[in-house]
Amino acid sequence: MEIHEWMINYTRQTEWIDRRGIFLWIAFYAGGLGGGLYLVSLYFNSLWGMFISWLIIAVIKGAAHLIYLGKPLRFWRIVFRPNSSWLARGIIFVLAFVVFAAVQLALSFWLPGTALEIVFKVLAGMAALAVTVYTGFVLNTVKAVPFWNSTLLPLLFVLCGILGGFGLAVIIGLNGGNVNIAVAEAGSRWLLIINALLIVVYLWTAANRETTGKKSVMEQMRGNLAPVFWVGIVALGIVIPLAIAFSSYFVSEVSSALLVTGVACEVIGGLALRYCVLKAGAYKPLVAIAG
Amino acid sequence: MRWGMAVDLTQCIRCYACVAACRIEHFLPMGMSWPRLVAMETGGDSPTVSTYSVRCNQCQDAPCVEVCPTGATYQREDGIIAIDQDKCVGCRYCIIACPYQNRTFLSKDKNQGFFPGRVETDFEKAGKKLYRHQVGTTEKCNFCAERIDAGLAKGLKPGVDREATPACVNTCPAQALTFGDLDDPDSEVSRLIKEKNGFQLHPEYDTNPSVYFIDGKIGFSETSNIKDDSKRETAPTGAER
Ligand code: SF4
Ligand code: SF4
Repeated sequence: MEIHEWMINYTRQTEWIDRRGIFLWIAFYAGGLGGGLYLVSLYFNSLWGMFISWLIIAVIKGAAHLIYLGKPLRFWRIVFRPNSSWLARGIIFVLAFVVFAAVQLALSFWLPGTALEIVFKVLAGMAALAVTVYTGFVLNTVKAVPFWNSTLLPLLFVLCGILGGFGLAVIIGLNGGNVNIAVAEAGSRWLLIINALLIVVYLWTAANRETTGKKSVMEQMRGNLAPVFWVGIVALGIVIPLAIAFSSYFVSEVSSALLVTGVACEVIGGLALRYCVLKAGAYKPLVAIAG
Repeated sequence: MRWGMAVDLTQCIRCYACVAACRIEHFLPMGMSWPRLVAMETGGDSPTVSTYSVRCNQCQDAPCVEVCPTGATYQREDGIIAIDQDKCVGCRYCIIACPYQNRTFLSKDKNQGFFPGRVETDFEKAGKKLYRHQVGTTEKCNFCAERIDAGLAKGLKPGVDREATPACVNTCPAQALTFGDLDDPDSEVSRLIKEKNGFQLHPEYDTNPSVYFIDGKIGFSETSNIKDDSKRETAPTGAER
């Protein structure tokens, strides 16, 4: 008899991360990063930042979703039932963002300072926030996966997206975009600290939720996911960017190369976080077994 | 009316006939099985293998229905959770939401034919005409809804008349599977569940499954001679997916 553990022990979800599921991981992360960058760009009024965030959501996120679907030509069916689930609402937010931000970009380019531009900035900003947050709700409403069943998840995803947004804003600033690098760095610093604390609280509460939640946490810290967790999330996503951020705070002048390295680490950290969250999601055994 | 099933684990002889019957009835591709026999090994001095036969529970508060963004997964009036294959976009949210993991996404590699790259059997050719499976969509057990509908149209009674009864129930040589109307207190299935304390899997999810299991020691073979439950240790040995 073939040996495996389907629904007898801890059973990982595979559909949304393994094989083609990788595209869903990319789509989820691109939504957070693009939405976060748009919000940060609104703050700095950086047209380049808004344009890049539009590209991330419309092109990378959109394409990744379509590639993932089993029947991509039927994708329009998703948007007609917004009351059904967060996935339907999320795709509506994405479409709304793509339309509102495109109009806003055109208005900012050709008719800057008009009331209409402000209206579309507000609309696109709300849609960007919704794009950043909805993936957290898609996961945390799944009762069957205790590791995801946490109200902290949407918050974690939003903050992680805005953190990535601040990082990309630094790069845009370094390349002559309309971004105050010192402010963007300060934003990164604070969010890095808050994110690190939130990750600790998230894992702590997940580990105390149920046996399966604890197994998911252990899988990340000591199991197969440990390299991604410790290298990707902890070292690249938190420690190195934090070290660079604080050295720039105390030493004042930090080389552009180091700043870019810090941002690259932040992006890898964000990807690793989404990867671990998706990969460690698991179901309870079908039957409670003694022993 | 609410169709339901009782799986009597004290009767099941672990023969896989239900799994085979479903494959034949629905011309299932080799990479997919709607019902599954999940097996585990009980530890102790004389380990035994125990199994439980699982399939979609046709939950009355089904999370898969709740999350489906297209409405492809829906609940029929008789309680069966059905999938409209022409509406499914293959997002797999329903698979993620099912606490029992009873759904399968039909990907290309699961549909490569019985003898990939060699010959297409007459059985497979017939299947293409009689029961179309769409690669890129999600599938699961539907309690043989097509048999129930055709049987009812002829005035037959599901669970009583073979022609209107799910294929796995008809095939089970140990009569471990019983099918019928859960809303009818006099039906065989309702009586069995009541008399033998049938229970649902994971009631804490509030899904209200229509499949009940009978056996106070679910997961353990009744032939196991380990008396002290606390001494039982299990190790997975195999499962059909
Ligand atoms: S067992 Fe799973 S697939 Fe079947 S109705 Fe319940 S939630 Fe849906
Ligand atoms: S895979 Fe199909 S049936 Fe499942 S949730 Fe998506 S559209 Fe609905």
